[in-house]
Amino acid sequence: MLSSLRSGVQSLWRVSSRALQTSSTLQHDSLFVHRDTPEDNPNTPFEFTPENKQRIDALLAIYPDGHKRGAMIPLLDLAQRQNGGWLPISAMHKVAELLNLPKMRVYEVATFYTMFIRRPIGKYHVQVCTTTPCWLRGSDTVLQAIKEATGCEVGGNSPCGKFSISEVECLGACVNAPMIQVNDDYYEDLSIEDTKEIIEKLKRDEKPKPGPRSGRFASEPLGGLTSLTEEPTGPGFGLQDALKA
Amino acid sequence: MFKAISTTARLSKSQISRSLPAFSTGSSRYASKDPSSRKEAPKIDTETVIALPEEAKEKQVYDSQICVPTKVDLSPITGVPEEHIRQRRVRIYQPPKNAMQSGTNNIHHWEMEFDTRQRWENPLMGWTSTGDPLSNLKLQFASPNEAIEHCEKNGWVWYLDCPKTEKAYKPKSYGINFSWNRRTRVSTK
Amino acid sequence: MLRQPLSRALALSSPSRAAPIAAKRYAQVQAQPEKVEVFIDDKPVYVPPGTTVLQAAAMVGVEIPRFCYHERLAVAGNCRMCLVEVEKSPKPVAACAMPVMKGMRVKTTSDLTKKAREGVMEFLLVNHPLDCPICDQGGECDLQDQSMAFGSDKSRFTDIHFSGKRAVEDKDVGPLIKTIMTRCIHCTRCIRFASEVAGVDDFGTTGRGTEMQVGTYVEKMFLSELSGNIIDLCPVGALTSKPYSFAARPWETRRIDSVDVLDPLGSNIVVATRTNEVLRILPRTNEEINEEWLSDKSRFACDGLKRQRLVTPMIADSRGNLTPVEWEDAIVAAAQAIRDCPPSKLVAVAGELADAESLIALKDLVNRLGGENVCTEQYFPMEGAGTDLRSSYVLNTKIANVEEADFVLLIGTNVRFEAPLLNARIRKAFLHKETDVALIGPEVDLTYEYMHVGDSSSILKDLATGSSSHEVLKRLQSAKRPVVILGADQLKGSEGPALLAYTQELALRLQDQLEDKEWKVLNVLQRTASQVAALDIGYKPGVGKVLQDGPKVVFLLGADAGVVTRETLPKDCVVIYQGHHGDAGASIADIVFPGAAYTEKRGTYVNAEGRAQQTLPAVTPPGKAREDWKIIRALSEVLGARLPYDNLDEVRDRLAEISPALVAYGDVQNNNYFAQARALAQSLQKPVSGKLDVQLKQLEDFFMTDAISRASPTMAKCVQAVLKQKQSPY
Repeated sequence: MLSSLRSGVQSLWRVSSRALQTSSTLQHDSLFVHRDTPEDNPNTPFEFTPENKQRIDALLAIYPDGHKRGAMIPLLDLAQRQNGGWLPISAMHKVAELLNLPKMRVYEVATFYTMFIRRPIGKYHVQVCTTTPCWLRGSDTVLQAIKEATGCEVGGNSPCGKFSISEVECLGACVNAPMIQVNDDYYEDLSIEDTKEIIEKLKRDEKPKPGPRSGRFASEPLGGLTSLTEEPTGPGFGLQDALKA
Repeated sequence: MFKAISTTARLSKSQISRSLPAFSTGSSRYASKDPSSRKEAPKIDTETVIALPEEAKEKQVYDSQICVPTKVDLSPITGVPEEHIRQRRVRIYQPPKNAMQSGTNNIHHWEMEFDTRQRWENPLMGWTSTGDPLSNLKLQFASPNEAIEHCEKNGWVWYLDCPKTEKAYKPKSYGINFSWNRRTRVSTK
Repeated sequence: MLRQPLSRALALSSPSRAAPIAAKRYAQVQAQPEKVEVFIDDKPVYVPPGTTVLQAAAMVGVEIPRFCYHERLAVAGNCRMCLVEVEKSPKPVAACAMPVMKGMRVKTTSDLTKKAREGVMEFLLVNHPLDCPICDQGGECDLQDQSMAFGSDKSRFTDIHFSGKRAVEDKDVGPLIKTIMTRCIHCTRCIRFASEVAGVDDFGTTGRGTEMQVGTYVEKMFLSELSGNIIDLCPVGALTSKPYSFAARPWETRRIDSVDVLDPLGSNIVVATRTNEVLRILPRTNEEINEEWLSDKSRFACDGLKRQRLVTPMIADSRGNLTPVEWEDAIVAAAQAIRDCPPSKLVAVAGELADAESLIALKDLVNRLGGENVCTEQYFPMEGAGTDLRSSYVLNTKIANVEEADFVLLIGTNVRFEAPLLNARIRKAFLHKETDVALIGPEVDLTYEYMHVGDSSSILKDLATGSSSHEVLKRLQSAKRPVVILGADQLKGSEGPALLAYTQELALRLQDQLEDKEWKVLNVLQRTASQVAALDIGYKPGVGKVLQDGPKVVFLLGADAGVVTRETLPKDCVVIYQGHHGDAGASIADIVFPGAAYTEKRGTYVNAEGRAQQTLPAVTPPGKAREDWKIIRALSEVLGARLPYDNLDEVRDRLAEISPALVAYGDVQNNNYFAQARALAQSLQKPVSGKLDVQLKQLEDFFMTDAISRASPTMAKCVQAVLKQKQSPY
């Protein structure tokens, strides 16, 4: 209906003027080349904390000699956690130096994985699942609510600098759709109110309780268990008599 | 069929070597002051000098047994100007692979070409001009022997240019990228 | 030259002799495992196990299309263009990565294969721009050619969302390589080349999926002396030559096979010309020298051939300004100066780009006049065996055999910039043969790890006398195929003779212990293309002594290295310069003869391993410039000391008289008399205390080293770009 209206308008418009078609650029929310910014440049100071250095030693010990580069992802993750959820280029350089690798090899890994974030982000990284099951269960409204509550656009940071929103693909909690992930925690079975409440709490730096909001413990049916409801049978259940001791 | 080919190949080969004894080494190289009067490229026969007795004998056997047609020199009757016979030098070579491309289908033959002479930009259209009628003569042959024969027939001084282009065979392996303790592992993709 | 055909022709006629001595490969002799029979399009072929399907197909002349596969790089298997059907395999397999199995039946022309290739091609073209008309690769593009065979005539790519084709921003990787990354098909050849051959791990893929792109992630120049090769490797137009951009189409150019003279290796090249102008230089495969690579200087310095050229003879007027004159005037003036000069006061100095023909003509001329002072700019010690034994001043191991070495000792040389392709060979050995390398000299970046032994020359003495306790000595002694490479630059100092003597001692002692009696250990790496030929002909290396005697006439044959300066010459000394560029030599000259550059003449050059090769004229010399030996021949006529050769054949006969090796084009002789050279050097083993230093340390030193590259704007841009990159934090 709408589309037919649109094409009608377009055809009208085409009569009077030549169609000038510009292609909208298909854009990913992050860039796969590096641009120096005041926050993120090779001179950004980055040094692992003593605790993390110990962790690095432990991590490196897992990998045999000559294959220390296997520790790249754990090291990058450590760096990202230490740096408030994002990975400056100086941290990548640091990891390259630790693993004695060309820097490019680290850039490759850091750009490949979407969980390495290469731009400054807020303290709370809100990842909203918008894949089909969540979307069917209303992830669009959840996303809208978060946007309104934080004043933040997808792929951007909120004005207060506390929040960043990403739209992500399936996080594997489809049974508890819709859901969001804030840093390391899942918040599931969300309603708009739940979402708002979570954001409000985060604004006050309180930690909302992670997990389903529907009163479920995990991903069991909402109306209680439908199977396996009886008492678990004891040992030897269903065994032939002959086999019973 | 194959026999016939090999016979002709041998014929053409022995034709080259047959003319060898005619050229001796040392002082006689300077016997004729005008090198342009020489008809053929070959001159010193180091191979004959250092040949083992068996090889020399073998060569003799070929020489005595095979009846080779007399060498034809067409240059007096081709009508090609004297200058373009005596002064030109023919390079016989296999075309090199284009470094920009992977394909090798068009390089498995032999070519002859003449030495480059002056070319200039034509003031009329800006195209390339040359006063050299042979500059575009690029002939293809299946083997260097054919090319040599053709050159000799036409009285051109020729030389073969064949750098080693065949690579020593080494099996390629995808697994080597992931070998446990070799330096090839350091490579990335 | 005329000798060449004979030996070749004979080689052709007698297969037993077809393999020249020097071409012997030191391949690992192993028990050959049984060969496997496979069928390529029903043609049976026996191949060693481990061979890939693609290689097996190549053996029976079946060429399988490919983009990512390159025989000199690691197998990547990511373009999928080489998919072929294999009987009993449910899916098509990638021929480049699939090893053959016994009885495998490969079908390279079947419907399934064809469909697979068409599918791959369609996917590649979905994201490849249709800009062939404005693409520099057009006409020599693998994708273009293969799309003619496997591409569809119409597109199924319908852009329903009007989102456009994938577009990728271009990268700036320096003044040599132009990138149009939208054209990239992600074959990763450039990445593998940078990582494996060049040893500069700056390329990689960032992102993934449709957002993946090849690049450097950060803004960074590709800091390699072999960077130009990725232009050749790129199967599409994503990486093209910046200096050559929009200059010509491949079908407009004429290609003349020639030889490079800007480094001592004599890489084989193809010179592409149009209307008497050299447009670009590409490498030409020669397994014994450059494989199929070419260093950046050899490739991109060709625009220097059009600038700073000497196009007319010149004579300095009363105020010392060079003014153009006719050939006759210049030659008569030079003849007068030479005639007025006692032969002992006549000095001829040959530069780094001189061909053997002009070298011999000049030497013969000076000798005919009664003089003896013919020398080269580069020094080499004359004590001991001096230049009498060829083994003392060439690469005896041969360039290709360096790949087979198991330990390489570099003494006072930065191979990476003195002979980039020799360094690439060492790197190849380092990667594929696990060869270890040690260096005595300043610590430089050789693109691979090496043991740095120190930079004092006494280390060499200790190694040679066996008194060293360093690990390197043990490694050298236990090595089966050790290689010792001495940089010729080290020989110019007062300790030069001793360094050479120690190197000979060390190398020959190692050589005596070897099981493989054919293997040669001793190598001296010359710096210039002309030096080996000059020493073969009998030039005295170095100008030191003869200049101190106060020469009256100095004849510079392309001597531009700045060894001869006005300050070192007496006031009344007449300097005659013959060469092709207005560089250091011409600036101090009284009389200038314009000569021909290496792309303009048929000249003989002997490379650092002693292999004679000839350049072919691709264009004619500009203006009144002439071939060098002809100028000297003309001068000899006026001087009344007529040289006995009137054409090139006769000059080459004269060269052959001196050494047949000088005209045995393409061949290289094995050298002998090592023991004698060693014995003669015994007395020279004096204590040494100096430090070894090299001239070319950094990449910026590499680009401008001779008259041609100094005149090249591209090389100047490279130096600037490298210096700028050094400022960058990346």
